[in-house]
Order: sequence, then C-alpha cells, then structure tokens
Amino acid sequence: MLAFAPRLAARCKATRRSNTPIARLAQTSVVPRHASRGFSSSAPARNQPLPDASGRDKAAVGVFTPKAAALFVATGVGLFFYFRYEKQKLIERRQKELEDKQVGRPNVGGPFTLTTQDGKTFTEKDLLGKWSLIYFGFTNCPDICPEELDKMSAAVDTLDKEYGPVVQPIFISVDPARDSVAQVKRYASEFHSRLVGLTGDYDTVKKTCKAYRVYFSTPPDAKPTDDYLVDHSIFFYFMDPNGRFVDAFGKATTVEEVVARVQKEIGVWHGRTGKTA
Amino acid sequence: MGWFGSSEKSAPDAASRQDRQRCWDSRDVYFTCLDAANVIKPGDEGKACDTSKAEYERDCARSWIEYFNKRRVLAEQQQGVLTQAKNQINAAKNS
Repeated sequence: MLAFAPRLAARCKATRRSNTPIARLAQTSVVPRHASRGFSSSAPARNQPLPDASGRDKAAVGVFTPKAAALFVATGVGLFFYFRYEKQKLIERRQKELEDKQVGRPNVGGPFTLTTQDGKTFTEKDLLGKWSLIYFGFTNCPDICPEELDKMSAAVDTLDKEYGPVVQPIFISVDPARDSVAQVKRYASEFHSRLVGLTGDYDTVKKTCKAYRVYFSTPPDAKPTDDYLVDHSIFFYFMDPNGRFVDAFGKATTVEEVVARVQKEIGVWHGRTGKTA
Repeated sequence: MGWFGSSEKSAPDAASRQDRQRCWDSRDVYFTCLDAANVIKPGDEGKACDTSKAEYERDCARSWIEYFNKRRVLAEQQQGVLTQAKNQINAAKNS
C-alpha cells in the first residue's frame, strides 16, 4: 500500500504533462523503483534501459501480486479491528460513567468507631447493606436538630411502608462533653424507634466529623454541666448500602423531597442489583 | 428571679420532647407580648411582659433564651430589609 501511493502520484503527473520526455522519464524511473520494493520478482526490470509499454504494464500488474494483496487485506483487517476495539472501549467508558457516577461524588464518609445508645460499638461497617440517613447534632439543640430529626423520622416512616426497613436513620452527637450514652438514649427514643444515636469521646467525634466534612464548635474542655449551644453543620446525609455518599439534605428540603430522592436511588439500585438495599 | 419560689419544676430537659415544646410555647407567648408592646429586642419592653417573660425563663435554658432572642432580632432586621426591597420594587413599578 505504501509503494502504491507514490506510483499513483507519478501517474497523475504524467497525464497532466502529456507526453513530454521528462514525464516519461519520471514515470519510468519511479514505477519500477517503488514496485521493486514490494516484491523481488520485478527486480530485473531495473536493469532494463527504458522499459517499453508492455514492461510498464507488467510493473503495474505486478503491484497486485498475492503478497501485496495479502498485505493490503491484512492492513485493512487490522485497522478494522483496531477501530472496532477503540469504539468498544469508548462505549464501555461512557456506559461506566453513566452507571456509576463516581466522578464528582464528594468524598464524604470514612472509618469511625462510636457507641450506640445501648452501649454497643458502631462503626462504618454497620452502615453497609442498608441505606442510611445521618444527622449530626446535639441533644441540647434548641429547635433545628429536633425539626430535622422529625423530618428524617417522617421520611423513614414513609419509606418503611413501601420497602420495609431498608433505610437506617442515624443521629451522631457533636457534643461529646454532655451527650452521654444515657442522654442520647433518652433523646433518640422520642424520634424514631429505629433511630441509632451515636456518641463518643471528643477525639472520636472530632475524627468522625472530619471524615463527614461536618463542622462543629464544641470546645474540647466543655463541662457536662455547662449551658452552651453548639454551632454545627445542619444538613443530613444520605448514604447508599455500600456506605458511599449520595446526597445531603438541608433545612429547606421537605419530607416529600427526601422521600422522592431516596425512592429514586432505591429504584436505580433495584434496577442494577435486583435488591432494594 | 421570683419564679423559683412559684415553681417546683426542675431545669428544663432538652432531651425531652415535652420540655422542648413547653419552652417553645412559652417563648411564643412572650414574643407575642413583645409584638403587642411593639418591641423587637427582648429586654426593651420594660415591665410590660413580666409574666410571660418569667415563664419563658423558667421553661427554657439560658443558652436557648439567648439564641431565640438573637434570632428574633435578626429575623426582624431581615424582615425590614425585605420590606424595604419590596417597597422599592413597587416604587420602581409605579414610577
């Protein structure tokens, strides 16, 4: 194929310049040289001074020997498969991007070890296999925390009716000094029967909040008897059964919006895995 | 601080839904009284709302009172800005 192109160029030149001797020379000198590169059988043609018309025809026909044809076909087949492979790769890549929106997913979450309201250890592994709604707050919270937890509980109740207990509501205290296990137990019991209330010491809570990108302002030296408020991030997180972040809901989000968002994700999940969690 | 004698109730428990509700209710009564007295900043009302103020302070923790009071002032300021903006829009429309 490579040898073929210059020969064609030479032909074109020859026709344009009609029958001038130079054109003839160019034609005759170019054709055999390139032709001979492709196959050795026409090598003797080089020794012939100025081949006649029949010699040129022979050289022209010679390009299409089985060897050249095989090379041509092999290159074509090679290119065909190469492009098909590339196209396949592109489709797969797009498919993957569509299916798994990992790109652009905020890096929220991480390992943590906290204590439930029943004194049991609870880690990030306990989030697996269920959807979770996680709210960070504190029991001495004047109004926003209880409102958000009520919203969360209402959403979980609605979702429970449709899917069963596939969504786990979780409360994580950002006030380790005052929110003892007993305090969290009393607090959590008035929201949802399945609400898991978590607390820990200052460092554990701090680490957890860092992993979840939650800001809170409890001073490290706060005493359990102090009367203070904790300034903190007030959205709640929606995590998938692999413990990965899906979305965050703010104060303006209604119960219906939370339910709709969770339903949508469960639908997608069900379509992919055949399960609701 | 006369409410200590009149009430046997202990300090409000933030972990109790009932206590939270009681605090919110007392706050609303007190703030309604402030509205009636045309006072925005709690504490500026003189003796006009003493009864409801006493209940408010009995039913809510000090930190909550500070928070609610601050929020009331902020909300009023916000309302003022919004009203002003609305008036300007209307003025611009009518001119």
